[in-house]
Amino acid sequence: MNTSSSPTDLSTKSALVIGVGGLGCPALVALARAGVGRLVLVDDDRVELSNLHRQVLFRDEDLGRDKLDAARDALLRDGYTGAVELEKTRFVPDTALTLAARADILLEGADNFPTKFLACDAARLSAKPVVHGAAVRFTATAWCVAPEGRPCYRCLFEDLPAGDAVPNCAEAGVMAPVAGLAGALMADLALRHLSGAPRSALWAYDGKTDALREVVVGGRQQCPLCGDQPSISDIQEARYLGGLCAA
Amino acid sequence: MAVTVRIPTPLRTLTGGEESVQADGGTVRQVIEDMEAKHPGIRDRLLDDKGVRRFVNLYVGEEDIRFLDGLDTALSAGQEISIVPAIAGG
Repeated sequence: MNTSSSPTDLSTKSALVIGVGGLGCPALVALARAGVGRLVLVDDDRVELSNLHRQVLFRDEDLGRDKLDAARDALLRDGYTGAVELEKTRFVPDTALTLAARADILLEGADNFPTKFLACDAARLSAKPVVHGAAVRFTATAWCVAPEGRPCYRCLFEDLPAGDAVPNCAEAGVMAPVAGLAGALMADLALRHLSGAPRSALWAYDGKTDALREVVVGGRQQCPLCGDQPSISDIQEARYLGGLCAA
Repeated sequence: MAVTVRIPTPLRTLTGGEESVQADGGTVRQVIEDMEAKHPGIRDRLLDDKGVRRFVNLYVGEEDIRFLDGLDTALSAGQEISIVPAIAGG
C-alpha cells in the first residue's frame, strides 16, 4: 500500500475500532489505506453468512472464523503494513478504560446503546476523541466527539432508553451501502481529527433520498459527563445495563 | 402557519411513508399537536410526560430546540423541523 500521497503522515497514529461489523469493516479499510500506523480491533464474534453483504473484509471462506483473524488477514492481504492488534473481547466496563488508553482515537459502530454510552464515557474519561457511527435500515449517522466533549453523546441522547422507547433491532435490517457509507464517514471524521482538522457536526444520511445533512449539536450544561458539574467520573457497570440494539 | 417536518425512517410508518409532512402551528408544541391529529401516534414517539423524549432530538433549522425555547420555540412560516432519533446498528 502506498501511503506516500497521504496529506498527513498518519503512521504514528493509532485507532481503536470497537466492533468489526458493517461499520468497522469499511472504516478499517479506509484507515489502513490512509496509513494509520496501528489499528486495535475489538470484537468477539465469528463471521456469519448474514454478515457478508455488508462486512466487506470477510469472504465466504471466512465463515465460522473469528472476525478479528479474518479482518487482520484481509487488511494484510490488501497491503496494510502497519500493526494490527486483536482484542477478542467485547468492549465492556471492566476493560473499557484500558482499551481506550491504547489508541489516539476510538471508533465505535456498536449495535447496542450500552456500548455506545460506554465508549462515550471511556473516551471522555481517557481524554480521547471518539467517533460514533450507526446504520439501521436506510438511516445512518456519524459523529466525532472531541476529547473535551461539549458536546458529547450524552449531551445529545442523555442516557440509555427505556425498554419500549425504541423498536427492537430484530425488526430492522441494515442496507449494505448505507452501512458502507456510515463506515466511510466514520473513517473520514477520524482521519480529520488525527490530521488536526476535526469536524464536530453530526452527519445524518437518508438512504431513501440520498440526502446527507449536517446537524450542529450543542453541548449541554447539565450533561453528566462533560457539563459544568459532571457526575460521571468513573466507569460503573450498573450504568450500562439494558438498552437493546435499536432503531 | 405551515412548516415542513422531516420524518426519519423509523417514524415513517406513522406518516404513510412520507419523508416530510406539512404541519401547522406557531410553536413546536402546536406543530406536534397538529401532526398528531393527522398522524395519530406520532406524539407519543416524540414526547413523554417530561417533554421531548431523551432519545429524540428536534431541530428547527440547524438549532436543537433544547437550546432555544424547547417545545415553546416560535416558528416562522416555511421553517423546517428535523427529527433526529438515536439509532444503534450496523
